[in-house]
Amino acid sequence: MTIAAAAMDRGTSSFGVYNVKLGMWVFLLSEVMFFTGLIGTYIILRFANPEQFARPGEVLNVPLTAANTFFLICSSVTMVKAYAEIERGNQQGLKRYLVATALIGMLFVGIQGVEYWKLAHEGFVPVAALYKAVGRHAAEAGEAGAVGAAVLGGPLYGTTFYTMTGFHGAHVTIGVLCLWFTVYQAYRGRYSAQNVAGVEAMGLYWHFVDLVWIILFTIVYLI
Amino acid sequence: MSTVATAHETAAHTHEEIPFLRKYIFSTDHKVIGIQFLFMSLFFLLVGGLLAMAMRWQLAFPANPNAGFEGRPLPGGGLLPETMVAGGVMLPEFYNALVTMHGTIMVFFAIMPLLIGVWANYLIPLQIGAPDMAFPRLNMASFWMAMPAGMMMLASFAVVGGAANAGWTAYAPLSVMPEYSGVHLGQQLWELSLVILGFSSLMGAVNYITTIVNMRAPGMTWFRLPLSTWALFITSILLLLAIPVLAGGLIMQFFDQTIGTGFFKPDDGGQPLLWQHLFWFFGHPEVYILILPAMGFVSDILANGARKPVFGYAAMVWAIVGIGFIGWIVWGHHMFMSGMNPMLGGFFMVTTLMIAVPSAIKTFNWLGTIWGGNIRFHTPFLHAISFVALFVIGGLSGVFVASAPVDIPLHDTYFVVAHIHYVLVGGSLFGIFGAITFWFPKMFGRMMNEPLGKIHWALTFVFFNLTFFPMHMLGSGGMMRRLYDPTQYPHIAQYQDTNIFITYSALLLFASQFIFMFNFFWSLFRGRKASENPWEANSLEWTAPSPPPHGNWGDRKLKVYRGPYEYSAPGASADYLLQTDPAQGVPAPASH
Amino acid sequence: MTEPIDGAAAHPSPNYILIWVVLAVLTAGEVAIAFVSHLPQVALILILVGLAIWKAVLVALYYMHLKFEPQRLKIIALAPLPLAVILVVIVLSEHW
Repeated sequence: MTIAAAAMDRGTSSFGVYNVKLGMWVFLLSEVMFFTGLIGTYIILRFANPEQFARPGEVLNVPLTAANTFFLICSSVTMVKAYAEIERGNQQGLKRYLVATALIGMLFVGIQGVEYWKLAHEGFVPVAALYKAVGRHAAEAGEAGAVGAAVLGGPLYGTTFYTMTGFHGAHVTIGVLCLWFTVYQAYRGRYSAQNVAGVEAMGLYWHFVDLVWIILFTIVYLI
Repeated sequence: MSTVATAHETAAHTHEEIPFLRKYIFSTDHKVIGIQFLFMSLFFLLVGGLLAMAMRWQLAFPANPNAGFEGRPLPGGGLLPETMVAGGVMLPEFYNALVTMHGTIMVFFAIMPLLIGVWANYLIPLQIGAPDMAFPRLNMASFWMAMPAGMMMLASFAVVGGAANAGWTAYAPLSVMPEYSGVHLGQQLWELSLVILGFSSLMGAVNYITTIVNMRAPGMTWFRLPLSTWALFITSILLLLAIPVLAGGLIMQFFDQTIGTGFFKPDDGGQPLLWQHLFWFFGHPEVYILILPAMGFVSDILANGARKPVFGYAAMVWAIVGIGFIGWIVWGHHMFMSGMNPMLGGFFMVTTLMIAVPSAIKTFNWLGTIWGGNIRFHTPFLHAISFVALFVIGGLSGVFVASAPVDIPLHDTYFVVAHIHYVLVGGSLFGIFGAITFWFPKMFGRMMNEPLGKIHWALTFVFFNLTFFPMHMLGSGGMMRRLYDPTQYPHIAQYQDTNIFITYSALLLFASQFIFMFNFFWSLFRGRKASENPWEANSLEWTAPSPPPHGNWGDRKLKVYRGPYEYSAPGASADYLLQTDPAQGVPAPASH
Repeated sequence: MTEPIDGAAAHPSPNYILIWVVLAVLTAGEVAIAFVSHLPQVALILILVGLAIWKAVLVALYYMHLKFEPQRLKIIALAPLPLAVILVVIVLSEHW
């Protein structure tokens, strides 16, 4: 804390942004490149092999995921409200909104987990040799791989889908763990109107995870 | 303000009571972490060198009786299992593993940590006037991720199937198909180790960038930073944005290997070329990561040795920035022969030739720096000036391979091996030796032995050139890279004498490094005690004690009045002028 | 008023709820366009990606407070974007 506090007194900081916030922004820039690698791979492989992918909604459950997208956006609102509360020094508001954010985050991961489970049962898996996705409608009519059910897309579809959404989900999970830690710190009275750094950094990470999902949802589910 | 002062005092107070484990093993002090990286990476440098010696032995003395080459048993080969060396003869699969691991260990666990893990950590706070990094605990985590990653890489030699053997570039499909490479777990450990190391470097980059932006002492403006710090700053930005792409690619390769995805397998619709693009998008900024810090050190050391300001300081800064920028759009020059779109090849050729310009600006400015100087030929200066000469040779061979048509016969030959070793050893490693000999007194409070340093330098310089210069000829003559037995091809067998000559030179080069090792360890305990500023240099680290205490300057408030290169300033009482010296009436040099 | 502790501009708190409503509407709009539209594929992609970028920019500017941060932070926050575009476009060009 000494050194961070000392940084605030420095006369030569040229961004006017304190250490923890600058550090988190810089880290998020690297995360942009990470997701670029994954999403870029999806775009490139899909452009080169369009027959290995399916039209929106044929395999993936768009309505459910659209709702999930909405939930994640709600959690961004609760997160920014949490920050606004502690800026005003309202400890109760902070705790309430932080807990809400964490719970919605867990809901998002839960729904995605359920989605994965159902997709896998329909034959939509990342393992190339085992891929035999027949889509939601055919799956409802009979078992995956049943005679007459056409396979939709190819192995690359499953491979890229699970890698992209899986790593996003992992980031959300880590975010949820960090949120609970932030809640714990809040209950210990660590934050105040003068000491918002931890909450602000947590918020930046959480909004970023939401932002990535906004892009991912459009590219993977709607196109 | 008072809260800061009392917090300072408590920090100084509690430091006395810190137990051994927290003070030296799990330290959050940037200097201790830098030194930890130093010992770790010197160890890996030794390992990488040993692997190269084994490779060179095989290249000089292959067992090919049909062509008249009897071969010689590998020294120490009897200690290795039958899967590596059978009856004194190295197996081809093991040779491929040696090639792969030599490159991987040297790039990721020797040169990168030596340039960045050591010097970004040690120098940045000291040169900008900060008490420590912005995130000291994150810094500690950085080291304690790098170390296990290194151990994992070494452990991969011991698993069934052996270590990764698809080259340090791990091209698909070989790297994702164990049925071709014979390596299962080894390749997977390779991928995981690099992901962990990448994360360690990433955390470091976040720390270095935040620290340099936010924690400079009052008066330390951007254009008063030493070029070492500038170089480390731009390097950190390259690390920050390039490593995640490598991580993504490594993860995809890992999934291909383990859970049966098909990112890079043509059978499943994957694209091997995609791996090459992802890898080299990282790989090219990576080579600038491997050279820029050394360029920074060279600027600082040459100015100090010549007792003159760096020629064209602002141009040097913009050249570093320019190399950082253009370095993002040249990666295809590693792929001219991959079968990629030839129009793309043309684009990459142009951008690659462009990047020679800022490098040339730096070279001319180094010459301008020492021109007419009152030169002190101390050991760091010798290494730094060797950097300039050898980097120029490496850069010139780079111009050849940058030209796509010329690259057609030269790609994947020893010409490229010559190029990369001239820039990585002639450049980076000499820069590292210069940095170690220059900042050793600050780190350990003792001088290294000068005569031994000069002997080490001279032998290294001679044997380095004898080893690598002939490779230009071998490559032009058609000798391919990663070749287990050169004598199997008549057009290469005729050059076998050259290969033997190179091997002997390489062995002597390796042996010469023991002089450095001896000097290093002996000086740790018996070196002449160093003063605060033994080289009569200007930058802020030379105003702290040797070695500096925790917090670097204690409660002393620093203020910077001038740039870092005011050597031989007219009107000054000495031929150097510390950045903290407010001496009135001494004009700042005209360049800024 | 939001009184920031560092160089960020003092600014009135944005209406987070309003932004939330806009995001929800844009999301619903995206889903509707993806399913209902008979537009050609290229136009569809451009519109959907455009809407996604609009949403992402709203989150970045208002929830991540980028709009009120010092200019230099805004600039470095944009830094990875050209690189991302370069990587994807150049590798895509292999298949044109």
